[in-house]
Amino acid sequence: MPPRALNGIRVADLSWIVAGPQCTRVLADFGAEVIRVENPQTLDSVRLSRPHPQGLDPPDSSGLFNLFNRNKRSITLNARHPDGLAALKRLIAISDIVVENFSSRVLESWGLGYPELRAIRSDIIYVSLSGFGHSGRNRDYTTWGPTAQALSGLTVMSGLPDKPPAGWGYSYMDHTAGYSAAIATLAALRHRGRTGEGQHIDLSQVEAGMVLCGPAILDYTANGRSYRRAGNPPGNRAAWPKAAPHNSYRCAGEDAWIVITCLTHTQWRALCTVLAHPEWLQDPRFATLPSRLRNQDALDTLIEGWTTGRDPRAAMQALQANGVPAGMVQNGPAIARDDPQMRARGFTARNVHAVLGDHLTDGTPAHLSRTPARRDAAAPLLGQDNAYVYRRLLGYSEEGLRELEAAGALG
Amino acid sequence: MSGALDGIRVLDLCDPKGQYIGRLLANLGADVIKIEPPRGDAARRIGPFLDDVPHPERSLFWWYYNAGKCSLALDIFQPDGAALVRRLAASARIVLESFTPGVLAPLGLDYASLAAPHADLVMTSLTPFGRSGPWARWAWSDAVALALGGPMSMCGYDDVPGAPPIRGTEHQAFHIGSHYAAIGTLLALFHCDRTGEGQHVDVSVHEACACTIEAGMPYALLQGRSLHRHTGRHAGPDPTEPWQYPTADGRLINLMGMPRSDADWIAIVDWIGEQGLVGNLRDPELRDAGKRRLGLSQESARQMLADLARFVAATPALAVYHGGQSRGAAWSVVRSPEENLADPHWLDRGFFVDVEHDDLGRSITYPGAPYQLSATPWEQRGRAPHLGQHTAAILTRDLGLTSPELTALAAAGIIA
Repeated sequence: MPPRALNGIRVADLSWIVAGPQCTRVLADFGAEVIRVENPQTLDSVRLSRPHPQGLDPPDSSGLFNLFNRNKRSITLNARHPDGLAALKRLIAISDIVVENFSSRVLESWGLGYPELRAIRSDIIYVSLSGFGHSGRNRDYTTWGPTAQALSGLTVMSGLPDKPPAGWGYSYMDHTAGYSAAIATLAALRHRGRTGEGQHIDLSQVEAGMVLCGPAILDYTANGRSYRRAGNPPGNRAAWPKAAPHNSYRCAGEDAWIVITCLTHTQWRALCTVLAHPEWLQDPRFATLPSRLRNQDALDTLIEGWTTGRDPRAAMQALQANGVPAGMVQNGPAIARDDPQMRARGFTARNVHAVLGDHLTDGTPAHLSRTPARRDAAAPLLGQDNAYVYRRLLGYSEEGLRELEAAGALG
Repeated sequence: MSGALDGIRVLDLCDPKGQYIGRLLANLGADVIKIEPPRGDAARRIGPFLDDVPHPERSLFWWYYNAGKCSLALDIFQPDGAALVRRLAASARIVLESFTPGVLAPLGLDYASLAAPHADLVMTSLTPFGRSGPWARWAWSDAVALALGGPMSMCGYDDVPGAPPIRGTEHQAFHIGSHYAAIGTLLALFHCDRTGEGQHVDVSVHEACACTIEAGMPYALLQGRSLHRHTGRHAGPDPTEPWQYPTADGRLINLMGMPRSDADWIAIVDWIGEQGLVGNLRDPELRDAGKRRLGLSQESARQMLADLARFVAATPALAVYHGGQSRGAAWSVVRSPEENLADPHWLDRGFFVDVEHDDLGRSITYPGAPYQLSATPWEQRGRAPHLGQHTAAILTRDLGLTSPELTALAAAGIIA
């Protein structure tokens, strides 16, 4: 087995839903021992989230939970029970990292704010992902992914110009806050490795979204121009760099689309060749980029005339064979089943889960030559590692563990 | 206090798709040298531009993604230029690049060449589709990535006939790929700190996008099912209730994030009752948090939203937002990005930072830290560099080049 970059790093993972578990998925994929601490009385709602393959019931059958929690362990624990809290403190004492994404006063209310965590383990790295951060007048406000997308500006920047925003059809900011938290955690791990010093990472999901709107914000602070103006958002047309054609076009088949974008004159010339319309190169409506930008409606209609009767994959192949940036709109099944690039790169892999059985899991987009990711262990059943963690790691006796359970300390 | 990456030198050979990686590392304390062509990086030609005047020093895109880096203007495609990069790489811990696979090897700048004398080098290659496979050299753009990688299939409209799938704009595929590239780079650096071993990190934007579509992937992997797009809210297998509603002042409110506790729900209903708009919200069925959950195609939620929509339509956006949030509802105003500049909460946190543009005689406000690190603070070290601003200093200080040598290189078009 190859070495893992995070071998020997233990994470007390108090997180739930998507943002926190996405952060710890990254850590677990690269070898950290991530222990999900779950309270069955306030179950992670993603354990209840679809899809649940036919005939299976929560809490162990959710495909969504399984995807974000592979390679992790799970224990049950009620932190509001004094014995549960005591056990949690013992877990923190042997962990390198604590990750949570509760609203901003929950850990304080358990007596586990950063000062207390530090008292338990002086070099702890404490990662809090909250909607608005742990300071500021609105620190008690809360978010879901769509809340953060709406506030940060990401929702407004997705849509057709004369319609309400289309926004994001999933919690983009849950994933992205998780990635940002993972970046900060890895930086903190490096600092701790060199100095022995831990720290608190205070991540606000809305702030992590606002940094993804940089040039749009600078357009206001430098030029005084609001993003909210005629023509914005541009649908699938280009904003910057200026380009035309640049749009989505209907193809043959149900909900079949292709995106075609010509960023250079060479690509535009190649498009005209593939579509067998070399005369467009001389057509005053299309000869130059400024003329194509002025006549996008006409140009898009002509291009869609070519795509409409065509299979999107065949159209994409023909365009790409000539160097035109073109991509069909692939949905999940197209990516998982029909995408030759993904097949060649081994994007999906078999996983065996006690309830879901033999099934596919997705890839890890960062391929490290010496310390590759792992994805061999499926997500844990609720509390499946109680014996390992309480007995072996924390040193409870068999009787002690039974007492915890009887007292309600495991939730 | 200092940054987590203090003392780490990074050579950044990335085109626009990967320049966010180096920016993230610079804010963590790394010394990032952006190596750009003598005629200027492609990012300098991406707008918007200051005062709408296209110019290599006026691109807001360049400013944002390269703030805090140094600029070394050098032609890596000339052998003498590539040789200088090889010499500089000896002092670097990290090299970032985003060229089409195969471009760097003939220049002697690929991982094998750079790491041969320098086993602890971390090199990260961010490419559209990864460094192998049949699409490795395919042409690409941000929109093409969001189409092929899955995000577009999840985003769009269910109430606009014939509407296409829609992409989120402002270079989001660049961001998604760059996040994974930063993760891979820092993992490799951590491993190198512990073992002295460098490695090559191969990051595919295509894979990064596909891993970022949430329910889209497990439905595909477990059931082979595709999802329907829904205006302004999550895609799913079944129709769901809208979340976005217009306010009295012509804004939109996102009502996703209904209060979960009974006490919060009662507080919300009482508040709406005070406005005389309670409708049927006191229906005992809605005391069950499960009956209030959105996205499950429930009749109870549909009726609740009809009443809430009437309340929202009669109330200004900020009143709905603050009134709801202060009573436990995770509601939000749908904002244009620049509106956050006026939100006092972000001022309390010091989120926005003023970056001095000495040549313009003014400072300009930028979005700041995506995370606050207590021991190694995120730091914005100045604006993006002018073209070749640090060429002479770096080549003189680090490689010992003399003034006549610099003049000769400039005359040959190798540096600027």
